[in-house]
Amino acid sequence: MPEAMVQLKGIHKRFGSLEVLKGVDLEVDKGEVVCILGPSGSGKSTLLRCVNLLAPPEEGEIFLEGEDICKGPGSGTGEQSWNLDYVRQRVGMVFQQFNLFPHKTALENVTMAPEKVLGRSKQEARAKGTALLERVGLADKLNQYPERLSGGQQQRVAIARALAMEPHVMLFDEVTSALDPELVKEVLDTMRELAEEGMTMLVVTHEMGFAKEVGDQVVFMDGGVIVEQGAPEQVLDHPREERTQRFLGLVLER
Amino acid sequence: MSEFFHQYFDFNYMGEHFWEVLEAFLQNLLIFAVVAVLALTWGLVLALLRQLPGRKFVPVRFLTIAYIDLFRAIPILIVILLISGGIPFLEFIPKDIRIPHWLGKPDPFWYGVAALMLVYGAFTAEVYRAGIEAVPGGQMEAARSLGMSHFAAMRHVIVPQAVTLIPAPMLNELISLLKDTTLVSVIAFSESVLISRELLAESFNSSALILTAFFFVVIILPMARVVDKMIARNQAKIARGSHIEVA
Repeated sequence: MPEAMVQLKGIHKRFGSLEVLKGVDLEVDKGEVVCILGPSGSGKSTLLRCVNLLAPPEEGEIFLEGEDICKGPGSGTGEQSWNLDYVRQRVGMVFQQFNLFPHKTALENVTMAPEKVLGRSKQEARAKGTALLERVGLADKLNQYPERLSGGQQQRVAIARALAMEPHVMLFDEVTSALDPELVKEVLDTMRELAEEGMTMLVVTHEMGFAKEVGDQVVFMDGGVIVEQGAPEQVLDHPREERTQRFLGLVLER
Repeated sequence: MSEFFHQYFDFNYMGEHFWEVLEAFLQNLLIFAVVAVLALTWGLVLALLRQLPGRKFVPVRFLTIAYIDLFRAIPILIVILLISGGIPFLEFIPKDIRIPHWLGKPDPFWYGVAALMLVYGAFTAEVYRAGIEAVPGGQMEAARSLGMSHFAAMRHVIVPQAVTLIPAPMLNELISLLKDTTLVSVIAFSESVLISRELLAESFNSSALILTAFFFVVIILPMARVVDKMIARNQAKIARGSHIEVA
């Protein structure tokens, strides 16, 4: 049995009186790609933010490579501790709105964290950053500022930026939702390559084609719980649950 | 009418005392320069303390907010009077600090600097805060998700963007700081208003005050125009709107 990269047990997350996650269990094996689907407000994005403790859960356990990351100094307070920063260095995240640093060039976006967090030399960080940007097809955009890049290019810079920290897991939060349709493919292609190289990925997405083709597991969430999960063909083509059927019906109608 | 004119606009009188008043005005500029550096720094520290996250920093945030509120509320004149009237008598403070004569400047100069720094630190802290809060939340999230600490994220991601958003309001604060340097005249520091009043007392002519006002106008009008330009430029940027799809 392959080692579980991420293991979530009984995750509850509340924002004030609103309970966004109501007991979620999920296991992601090493090298596995898990696609998370669901209507807006179902808790998908919050679930991702739990994994890197951007939104630490109030209840439940999170194991990252076998280590319980909710324990230890500072856990549960939602604030700084060696634990949080250490966790986030192993978990990369890419956001719907890219969130590139607008005052930095593409290359500087990629090199900042390795330099400031890992203490890499400028030279080393630049060499690695350049290689990463080449890998996502942006060798000619190293010194461009984000506002001079298309959405698809920005998102690929964001992927390279996350990869620069050599994460063991990557979280993708609706990374193509803010893109013009013709720019979606270049980002999905980059993600597909990453999956083929064996990266463990949790992908919140509305791209059914991607989920079916690249996903090893598809999870359907609604109302803060996992409604259905399984192989992509099973969940997407033969959903058992009525809620899943209804959601897929609405999405595929488009 | 001509009497009035002579009282305030006696150009001969202004000419006679031009250098004396100018030299005093340079003291205002000096106070301004020293306080500007100190207050811009102190204000940033306050703003950053106010943004510290989490429960364990509640006391720090509370004290910072209390400080900012208090010093924005108390009239600067009172702060100046309390400092110059109080600090010298706090005997547990070493004499060199209690009654400072650093860099050849008399103690009222430093009391004035301290008072203005304390007050303007509070005001600039609020300007910084507006800048910090105008940076989209996703920036902090992205920085933290890369394993950066709150402090590193502030330093490398948030503050560099925040300061580009606030030059216009900050310059407004500096304009009012420059004018408020005249308040130090109440503790007998020889700056331009004090000198002008002394001249008024000995000659019964107010023209030195007008001359002093003229100096302030000459320095501040260009600053005001720069503020206008900055605001216009910002508005143009906003009007251009979501210009992300350039490439």
